Amino acid sequence: MTNSIQTEVVVLGSGPGGYTAAFRAADLGKKVVLIERYSTLGGVCLNVGCIPSKALLHVAKVMDEANEMAEHGVSFGQAKIDLKKILGYKESIINKLTGGLAMLAKQRKVTVVNGVGQFVSDKAIEVTNDKGEKTTVQFENAIIAAGSRPVKLPFMPDDPRIMDSTGALKLEEVPGSMLVVGGGIIGLEMATVYHQLGAKISVVEFMPQLMGTVDKDIAKVYEKWISKRYASIMLETKVVKVEAKKDGIYVTFEGKNAPAQPVRYDRLLVAVGRVPNGKDIAAEKAGVKVDEKGFIAVDKQQRTNVPHIYAIGDIVGQPMLAHKAVPEGKIAAEVIAGQKHYFDPKCIPSVAYTDPEVAWVGLTEAQAQAQGLAYGKGVFPWAASGRSLSLGRDEGMTKVLFDEKTHRVIGASIIGPNAGELIGEVTLAIEMGCDAEDIGLTIHPHPTLSETVMLAAEMYEGTITDLIAPKKK
Amino acid sequence: MAIKEIAVPDIGNYKNVDVIEINVKVGDAVKEEQTLITLETDKATMEIPAPFAGTIKELLVKVGSKVSQGSIILKVDTAADTSATPNGTSLESKPAPAAPSSSSSTQEIRVPDIGNYKNVPVIEVSVKNGDSVKAEQSLITLETDKATMEIPAPFACTVDQLKVKVGDKLTQGDLIAVVKTEAAQASSPATKAAEPQTSVPVKSEPESQPQVASQMASNVSAHASPSVRRMARELGIDLAKINGTGRKGRISTEDLSGFIKSNMGQGGGAGLNLLADPNVDFTQFGPVDAQKLSRIKKISGANLHRNWVKIPHITLCEEADITEMEAFRNEQKAQAEKNGVKLTPLPFLLKAVAQALKCFPNLNASLGADGETLYVKQYYHIGVAVDTPSGLMVPVIRDVDQKGIYQLAKELADFSIKAREGKLKPSDMQGGCFTISSLGGVGTTSFTPIVNMPEVGILGVSKAAMKPVWNGNEFMPRLMLPLSLSVDHRVVDGSEGAKFVVTVAKYLSDLRNLIL
Repeated sequence: MTNSIQTEVVVLGSGPGGYTAAFRAADLGKKVVLIERYSTLGGVCLNVGCIPSKALLHVAKVMDEANEMAEHGVSFGQAKIDLKKILGYKESIINKLTGGLAMLAKQRKVTVVNGVGQFVSDKAIEVTNDKGEKTTVQFENAIIAAGSRPVKLPFMPDDPRIMDSTGALKLEEVPGSMLVVGGGIIGLEMATVYHQLGAKISVVEFMPQLMGTVDKDIAKVYEKWISKRYASIMLETKVVKVEAKKDGIYVTFEGKNAPAQPVRYDRLLVAVGRVPNGKDIAAEKAGVKVDEKGFIAVDKQQRTNVPHIYAIGDIVGQPMLAHKAVPEGKIAAEVIAGQKHYFDPKCIPSVAYTDPEVAWVGLTEAQAQAQGLAYGKGVFPWAASGRSLSLGRDEGMTKVLFDEKTHRVIGASIIGPNAGELIGEVTLAIEMGCDAEDIGLTIHPHPTLSETVMLAAEMYEGTITDLIAPKKK
Repeated sequence: MAIKEIAVPDIGNYKNVDVIEINVKVGDAVKEEQTLITLETDKATMEIPAPFAGTIKELLVKVGSKVSQGSIILKVDTAADTSATPNGTSLESKPAPAAPSSSSSTQEIRVPDIGNYKNVPVIEVSVKNGDSVKAEQSLITLETDKATMEIPAPFACTVDQLKVKVGDKLTQGDLIAVVKTEAAQASSPATKAAEPQTSVPVKSEPESQPQVASQMASNVSAHASPSVRRMARELGIDLAKINGTGRKGRISTEDLSGFIKSNMGQGGGAGLNLLADPNVDFTQFGPVDAQKLSRIKKISGANLHRNWVKIPHITLCEEADITEMEAFRNEQKAQAEKNGVKLTPLPFLLKAVAQALKCFPNLNASLGADGETLYVKQYYHIGVAVDTPSGLMVPVIRDVDQKGIYQLAKELADFSIKAREGKLKPSDMQGGCFTISSLGGVGTTSFTPIVNMPEVGILGVSKAAMKPVWNGNEFMPRLMLPLSLSVDHRVVDGSEGAKFVVTVAKYLSDLRNLIL
C-alpha cells in the first residue's frame, strides 16, 4: 500500500543543509516534508562526521595536554582508556543534537518521512522505508540535499579492519598500527584521534603535500609537527596492493617514499575523498541533470536545470562542507518563498581539526600567484605570542594576505591550536572588505591567540612592535 | 634674477612617493616654509615646504608623479621675491625670458561651453608647464555628476603657465592655462578650448539604468558588505555601477537608495504600472516550436525597448525623386566596378544625409543624460542598420562628409560582410550621430523607424517605385524613393524634421545640390 502526501516543499536529505532548508522554508510559511533515510536527522555531519569526530578530537586534545603537563610538573599518570565510555560520550552528544533537531522539526510542523527517497517524476518522490513500505510525496518544489559518501577504492578487500571515516568513528579498538590512506582533512583528523589513543600512525598521500590546497609553508609546519610523532609520512606515494591476512593488513606501496617490501598494519583507514550521491536519487526521472561524477549543477539561486527543483550542499560541488550547505539551504528555501536571494559569498573557510589545527580562507598564496594578483602578506609566528607559549606550543603561524593596491584582506592561512576559531575573524574581514589598517586598529584582547591576526596585519603594515617588521620593498 | 631648483628633502626611506596635491602654481610668490606640494606614502601624507622664498617659475611634477629624495619639484626665481607683494601675487612678473621666441605668441585657454554646469571639479590635469601639446590633446578632465569630460587644447601650443590643479572648481570662461603658440599656428582667434569631449552621451550603449536581470554580473568583487550585496540583488542593482561614498569607496545601503533615487529621476520606465505580459500556453491552440532569442536580439531588444518608451517619436514621410540619381548611378556602375566597388544607392543617401545634417545641426546632436544639455556634434558619423542572420546591427561610417562616393561604397561593403560574419567590433558600432535604415531591397512604402539613443534621428528608406508625377502639364513617370524620418521630439521640432527630410529629398533629386 502506498501512502501519499501532498506538500509545497520537499527536502531530500536532512544533513545540515537539508534540515536548514526545511526549517527555513517552514518558517517562511511553506508546508514542508523532510525525507531522511536514517532514523535520526542531521545527516553525515551530526551522525558520522563533523560532530562525533570533534567529540573524539576533544578527548585526544585533553590527553595530549595532560601528557604535556607531565614535562611541566603535573603528572596524571598513565592514561586508562575505556573505549566504551568514550563512545558513550560521543553518542550522548549526537543524541542531544539529533534529538534537538527532531524537536525543532516538530515545533515547525515539518513532516519527517524516514526512508530512501527517489524521484518518480518532476512532481513526486517515492520514499521506501526499511520495512519496504512506500510513501509518495507529491511536491511543488524540491530541494535535493542528498549529500555525499566516502570514496571506495576498488582494490580494497572487504575486511572489517579496513575502515572508512564512518567505521573509524565507531572506535572498535585502538590498533597497534594504522595506515591512513589519503592525507586530506578527514584522514588526518582521525589520525589525530587514533594517534593520541596510542596507535602508531602512518600516512600515505599521492600528492607532494598533505591537506590538499593549503599553502606549502603551512603544510610544512604541519608535516614537521606530525613527522616527530607519527611512524611515517609517505608523500608522492600510492597504495597498489592490499592483502588482508590473519595477522594484519599487508600493504604494497609504489612511488617516491614507498617502502621496498609490503608493510603490515593492524588497521587501515581509507579517506581518499567523498563522492556525491547524485546518481542514487533517480534524478533523471525528474529531468534533473546529473554529471558523470554525480554532481548536480545549480545556478546562484541553487536552482537545477528544472526550475522548481533545487539542490544544495555536497551534491552541488566543492567544497563539501556543512557550513557551505547551510547558507545554500537557506537561499533555496528563500528563493522558493519568493525572495530574491543569491548565494554569493566572497569566501568559504576550511578547517582541519588536526593537532595542530589548520584553517584557511579566501585566496591562498598559490592561488593569488596563479591569478597574477599583486599581493602582500603579513606573517606572525606564534613563537612570539605569549598566549601560544603559555599553552606550551610555539609551532603556530598566522599568515594574512592583502591586495597590494587596496590593502584589503584577500585570504589567510593559520596553523596552531584553535586556528579554526581564529579564521572566523578573517572571514568576516574579507566579507566586510577590511584592509590591513582596519584589522591592525581593532583592539584585540590580550593575551589571546586572536591577537595573532591583528599582529599579522601589523606585520604587513609595518606598525608592529612585538617583532621587527620586514623591510618595505 | 636667480633661478633655483627645489628638490624633495629627506623623507625617510620612502621612494617613489605619490604627489597627491600641488599647492602652488606657476607665477605664485611663495614664502619660506609655505607648502609647495603634498606627498602621500602608504602611511602618511607629508607637505613639502619651500626652503626659501621666491616666485614659482616652473613646476616639474604633477599630481600622480612619483618622487623620491632629491627629485626636482620646481624652479623658483629667488630674485623676483623682492618684488613680491605681501599678499603673494606677482602676476606682473613675465615668464622667464630664457628663450623668448620672436615667432611665438601667448594665448589663454579658457573653459569652453560645458553645458549648464557650474563649479565642475577638475579630476585630472594631463599636462604640465613646458609640455608641448597637440590640437585636441586633453589638457584637463572635469567631472560632473553625470559624466567626465576632457577639455582638449583648441590648437597646438606649449603650456606656459598652468592655472588649475586637481580639485579646482571651474565654470565656463575660467582660465585653464596660458600657452605659447608658434606664430603660424596662432591664427585661431578662438581662445576657447575645443568643445569638451564628453564620454557619456556619445556611447551607443548607454547602460546607466538599473538593469533587473536574474543573473547579473557577480557582486562579489564589490566593496560592500554581505547585507548590502544582498540588498543590491533584491533591487536588481549592479554594484559595479555605484561609487561608494563610504571610507575608501565602500558602498553602503544609503548609496543604494541614492542610486535608485537618481535613476528614478530619469524615469527608467518605473512607474508605468503596466499589466504583466500575457503568459499563454500556445500548445493548446496548435503545435509550437519554442526557440531562444539570439544574443543580439536580446541586447538590441532591450535597447529598442528603452528607446521606444523613453523617446517621444514623430515620423515624417517624404518621397525623393531619384530618377536622375539612378540614371547617373547606372552610368557610373561599370566605371565603379573597374575600381572594385559595387555602386548602390546607399552611398548617395549617406552623402545627402551628411549634407542635410550640416544644415540642421539639431539632428546631429545628442541629449545629455541630464536631459538638459544638447551636445551638437561637429563630426558626421552615420550608422547604417544591417540585417544579419543573428539580428540587427548598426556599423558606423565615420566622417561621411569627408569621403567620396567610392570610398563610402567600399566601406559599406566591408562593413556588411563583417556584420554578416559576426566580426564587427564594438568600436565599429560606436560614435554614430544619425542612422540610416534601409528596407529598399525588400519593399514597403513607409515605416516608423525607432531612434537609436543617444542619437536623435533615423532615416528609414523604403523601396523606390516608378510613379506618375504631375509636372504642371502632364504626368511623368518618375522613380520615387519613400523616406521615413523618425526624430526625438524633445530635440527636433516637427517643422525642423520636415525641413530636414525635404532637404535630403532635394539632394537626392538633384545631386548637384550637394556641391552648392
